[in-house]
Amino acid sequence: MTERRFVLLMLLPAVLFLGFMVAYPVALLVYNSFFDVKLIDPASRVWVGLANYAEVLTSKRILESAIRTLKYSAFALFFELVFGFGAALLFSAIAKHSHWHRTIFALPLMISPIVAGLLWRFLLVGNIGILNYGLAALGVISDPGAIKWLSDTDIVIYSVAVADIWLTTSFVALVSYAGLMNIPKDLFEAARIDGASAIKRFWYVTLPMMRPVLAVVVIVRGIDALKTFDLIWIQTQGGPRQASEVLSMNIYQRMVRYGDLGQASASATLFLAFMIALAGLAYWKIWRTDRG
Amino acid sequence: MADRAPQDAGKVVINAVALLLVLSYALPYVYLVSTALKPAVDVQQIPPSFFPNRVSFENFGTVIGTAGLPQAFMNSAIVAILTTLLSLVIAVPAAYVSALYRRRITILFLLFALITRMVPAVSLGVPLFQILKSLGLLDTTIGLVLAHTSTAVPLALLLMAAFFEGMPKELEEAARIDGCSRFGAFWRIMLPLAPGGLAVTALFSFIASWNEFLFALLLTSQNSKTAPIFIAEFNSVYGLAWGPMTAAAVLYSLPVILVTLVLQRQIVGGLTFGAVKG
Amino acid sequence: MNKTLLCTVAALCLATSAAHAEAITVLVEGGGHSLQQAAADAFTKETGIEVNFVEVPYQGVYDKLTAEIASGTSAYDVVTIDVVWNAAFASHVEDLSDLFTDAVKADIPPALVADANVGGKMIGMPAWANAEIVFYRKDLWEDPANQVAFKEQHGYDLAPPATWQQWRDMAKFFTKDGMYGTNVIGATSEEWMAEVLQAGSPGVILDAAGKVILDNQAHIDALEFYRAPLCEDKSVPDNALEINWGEAQNLFYQGQTAMMKFWAHAYKMTPEDSKVAGKVGVAPMIGGTAGVAGIPGPWYNVVPSTSQHKDAARQFIAYAVAHNALGIEAPLGLAATNSAYASYMGKPGYEHFGPLMDTLSAPATKGRPLNEHYQEIVDEAVMPAFQGALECEDNVATLLQDAAATARDILGQ
Repeated sequence: MTERRFVLLMLLPAVLFLGFMVAYPVALLVYNSFFDVKLIDPASRVWVGLANYAEVLTSKRILESAIRTLKYSAFALFFELVFGFGAALLFSAIAKHSHWHRTIFALPLMISPIVAGLLWRFLLVGNIGILNYGLAALGVISDPGAIKWLSDTDIVIYSVAVADIWLTTSFVALVSYAGLMNIPKDLFEAARIDGASAIKRFWYVTLPMMRPVLAVVVIVRGIDALKTFDLIWIQTQGGPRQASEVLSMNIYQRMVRYGDLGQASASATLFLAFMIALAGLAYWKIWRTDRG
Repeated sequence: MADRAPQDAGKVVINAVALLLVLSYALPYVYLVSTALKPAVDVQQIPPSFFPNRVSFENFGTVIGTAGLPQAFMNSAIVAILTTLLSLVIAVPAAYVSALYRRRITILFLLFALITRMVPAVSLGVPLFQILKSLGLLDTTIGLVLAHTSTAVPLALLLMAAFFEGMPKELEEAARIDGCSRFGAFWRIMLPLAPGGLAVTALFSFIASWNEFLFALLLTSQNSKTAPIFIAEFNSVYGLAWGPMTAAAVLYSLPVILVTLVLQRQIVGGLTFGAVKG
Repeated sequence: MNKTLLCTVAALCLATSAAHAEAITVLVEGGGHSLQQAAADAFTKETGIEVNFVEVPYQGVYDKLTAEIASGTSAYDVVTIDVVWNAAFASHVEDLSDLFTDAVKADIPPALVADANVGGKMIGMPAWANAEIVFYRKDLWEDPANQVAFKEQHGYDLAPPATWQQWRDMAKFFTKDGMYGTNVIGATSEEWMAEVLQAGSPGVILDAAGKVILDNQAHIDALEFYRAPLCEDKSVPDNALEINWGEAQNLFYQGQTAMMKFWAHAYKMTPEDSKVAGKVGVAPMIGGTAGVAGIPGPWYNVVPSTSQHKDAARQFIAYAVAHNALGIEAPLGLAATNSAYASYMGKPGYEHFGPLMDTLSAPATKGRPLNEHYQEIVDEAVMPAFQGALECEDNVATLLQDAAATARDILGQ
């Protein structure tokens, strides 16, 4: 067997599978987006050209849910990075003794978003949520009803992100910790001998060395945050007043609750295009800087 | 020697503070377990208490006795196992050639796999619903396995490619000189050297399927309904059943947590591999 | 002679085929299964037709039936659907007009018959119905100290609330000692819809002709009244927007609220170990200028057009409505016909049937609009206005005008 043939043969199952289960559905998605088609009766479809796209792009609700998705992702990502990287620095400061810390910290690592969402809803929900009673007991808030985490439309999109932060800070922390451990020790030694202070060592040695790891963490986590569905769904189903409805939830509602397959497909296509563009940009940047 | 003692004291303080932080991080989950162990009436008590007044397995009893729950756990396990096997079968050969035979087509292929990781589940879910429906695979185990595999394959590919990249290419060449075919070198020499990589990849595929929600919500309704959907449905029109819901959540997450704690080093290794190389 | 023989043979064939092959599959939601099992058992005994139930959660009924129709498969012969789906499935189910005999019609509250009629086609038969009634704490209402204090404050006797004013007065009165008078549900809008009817609106959201009336005076008045305990009287927990049926029920069971409007089935489901067990009283839904009115929550048995056993399915549906009382012993304890409810009237433990029947058969009681875009209108137009009003800042009329505009947009009016 020639080398070329062998390579093709080994790739074949994956190409076929991804073609049928990813590329074909995506093609179908794009195709559907040009029709007025109902979920309950997909046989009768009417070609409407770009009408679905026009409707999606002018819909206030979809625009708002897109902005909300960005807010949610930025908020979650920021705190995951700060807490996660902070914890990693702390662990590396006590490197040899941090085994137990890291073990406990790994606890939420593989927990399903459903469980995390449920758990945080139970902690935040009005009247029976224990978090506010705890904060009141500590004197942080005046009474247990002071913060309406899940029913105040101004803050609910951030409240639901708390579960995400809890769930994935451990991922950021443990990956960052591994990155920190990979930094050659003699770099620090050299800096120390040169008389660099701890802050300077952090700024001129740690951060630059960690840059690729952090960049990848940002991309991986950012994409996951933009795609979030289950975590928010289980907490609020997008309410109240659609104040926690993110883009994937909007698409799901449009398809399943209103049965509007055409329009759901149009927004899903736009969402997909945006994600690919974003990821492409990010990968290209990192790949280029890695080379340079 | 003189400054050794205060430095040690400082270390102890840092250790203690760190441990406190880490413990408070685990607190929410502890509360979940503690709630599940409360008697049913106390679960929605106002104001709530952190620890149960008395430990009761009533909620666990309710959950285990709920029609359909054992089936849902079973479905979750079967779907996750089949997804893992299928993903490995599909992804490992492709990852192997992508790592060891770097050429234009494999690079293009890896790029394609990367892009599929970007696809939001909800975008795929809509057409997958149609496709599975036309194949008569809606609400079947096979249908859900196919859907889960479509998200697990890109991940498995990238992980395995990273593992194979870490193996010396000379080994393969040596095997070929000894008379192995290309496939023989892969199957008899290289693959047996990567059990760690296979295990981590399998674990990640398994967990991804075990935890998956959106596809299961869209593509199943009764026969192959998985546990996450079942747990979410405790929130019904006839009221909120927080007691059984927390008990089910504990039952569902405990095995995963135990595995995480035991295999923490390997998992973090996998995550780092995936993150740094991916 | 020949003819008789033929008849006998035919009859025999029919009987054997019934005894053998016939089996029907009924798709139901959990609660609906228990309500219909007894009737199904009796039906099988009488006709030999097996009845198999496929039980799914609430949303699953909609999803499975949708998938069934879309794919043209025929797994189900009867599906028990929530009234809000009647319009969506109307053109995909059999016309059951012939089952609505005069006797059947006379035995079912008119609002339920009306909801079965989608564009002149009787798409389903009510299986059971529910409505919100008033639940209150008997121990608090019967307490002489409360009775004296209440009369002093408000000038009339303390009795279960019957009017809007009484509701607000009593909610305020019982907001004391760490307890709230009642709750305002903000996560779902059905309770407000009942009050829209109490205020004399010809319909909820849409009128009989399908025109949007979301911004008429009755909708405005009802929303003003609905939010008053929250925004003016402070007689309810202020996290209204996250309070749904389950939360409202829990507040009452935990002794945090003195009264609530709630679906009648809850009366039989008060947990024995709850703080209020044995202290719960019931009364008909409150009334506004148009008198008592409720939003019926009936479920309908429909026969999907794809069914392969349509005759057996019809037989079962006719049997179930004729023997409607068989479901009352089930945990939810609900029925659809007057005669079924009447047969349990006065029995201890069934005190809620009187108030439920009064509410269901009140002249102003009316179903939600039968429109295939109902869900979308509620989500996109009604809920934003409704929940906006419960933030206590915006003007109710303006909110409803915006909502009406959105609804007209959805319907292309």
